[in-house]
Amino acid sequence: MSTAHRPSDETLAAFAAGQLDEGLAVVVACHVEANRESRQRLRELRAVQGALLDAIEPVAMAAGPRDISGVAQGAPDSPAPVSEAGMPQVLRPYGLGPWRPIGIRIAMRRVEVPGAGARVFMLRAGPGIALPHHKHTGFEWTTILAGAYEHEYGRYAAGDFDEADAEHEHTPRVDPVEGCTCIVAMTGSVQLQGWLGRLLQPLVRF
Amino acid sequence: MVPALALEVAGMRKAGAIAQGGRFVVLFDPNILIAAIARSGDREAFAALFDHFAPRVKGLLMRGGASAELAEEVAQETLLAVWRKAALFDPSKAGASTWIATIARNLRIDIARRETRSRLSQVYEILDEEAPEQPDATLSGAERDARVRAAMNQLSADQYRVVELAFLEGFSHQDVANRLAIPLGTVKSRLRLALSHLRGRLEDLR
Repeated sequence: MSTAHRPSDETLAAFAAGQLDEGLAVVVACHVEANRESRQRLRELRAVQGALLDAIEPVAMAAGPRDISGVAQGAPDSPAPVSEAGMPQVLRPYGLGPWRPIGIRIAMRRVEVPGAGARVFMLRAGPGIALPHHKHTGFEWTTILAGAYEHEYGRYAAGDFDEADAEHEHTPRVDPVEGCTCIVAMTGSVQLQGWLGRLLQPLVRF
Repeated sequence: MVPALALEVAGMRKAGAIAQGGRFVVLFDPNILIAAIARSGDREAFAALFDHFAPRVKGLLMRGGASAELAEEVAQETLLAVWRKAALFDPSKAGASTWIATIARNLRIDIARRETRSRLSQVYEILDEEAPEQPDATLSGAERDARVRAAMNQLSADQYRVVELAFLEGFSHQDVANRLAIPLGTVKSRLRLALSHLRGRLEDLR
């Protein structure tokens, strides 16, 4: 068993504080949904926030409580739509574009995240494919949804989180048996190289 | 058990007054108050919760850099949500302060990102639903909160400030370093020490 790849404490803290760009946050959330250890870490971070609330210097309210006479109790928030089969639950609030083939045995679908600075999409690649070799100026965060890929930093299987920044330059190779489906958020500009890169380029350009 | 905060507050019968040393010491137990709201829409309990938590939520938001107006709005909305969602509060998942801090975080995101139609708070809610605790495998929420609070109390002022910036406000380590005008390495070592201290407190009961 290889150790699961998880976000750094810094990334989880930014996620827990609600400070991440929503596109990056969605990819972290897909990982958290699948990873027990990260869920545990998040519960701890929330407990830290609770402890900070207990210890904070109160600031007097300008007004007293609002009139609660007409406020129904237990009113559920409007339920998010049901998820598509096989898709992470955390994607329920977002629109998913159709799968579009962008090459031989490789397809992409857009994840519509309003207000996100990062571009979010899913990539599905057949067994053994080399994903495009690329360089970028911002972040490229990936959560594996099914199957696996492998590159210089190790093997990434379902639920794993791959946090790459501009210093990383890699060429993931998709698992020769299972193939790979992943969700990716990218910030900054990306330069893709090779034939697959040229195919992907129009889809990830900013 | 949640260690109740002993407060000397007059007229908080709902919170349970105990005669002690000839004086009335009122045990402020938010769990009892939230349960009373859930059970019978108890307005006195709501008023007591508001008096305690609204100024703290406001203080927490302002500590995080929010304007007084925004902090007041989030505090009002947070307590309103406590009224509406009281029946959903589950002390085995998180203590009252943690639950309320989480509601405040989600509302801050909703309000701050209103124009962009952000759905991030829905993502957090889905993660909460989808990731039920396994009570026999982990600490109860209230117990985790108590341990985190005790550990936080032992942090030095310097460590505390770094934790606050990183875990409450979600600043990157570099931003924390800039804000406090200390070297990046110092930020990282203080956080590492603080985290290992927190985890040491949490792990022996896992």
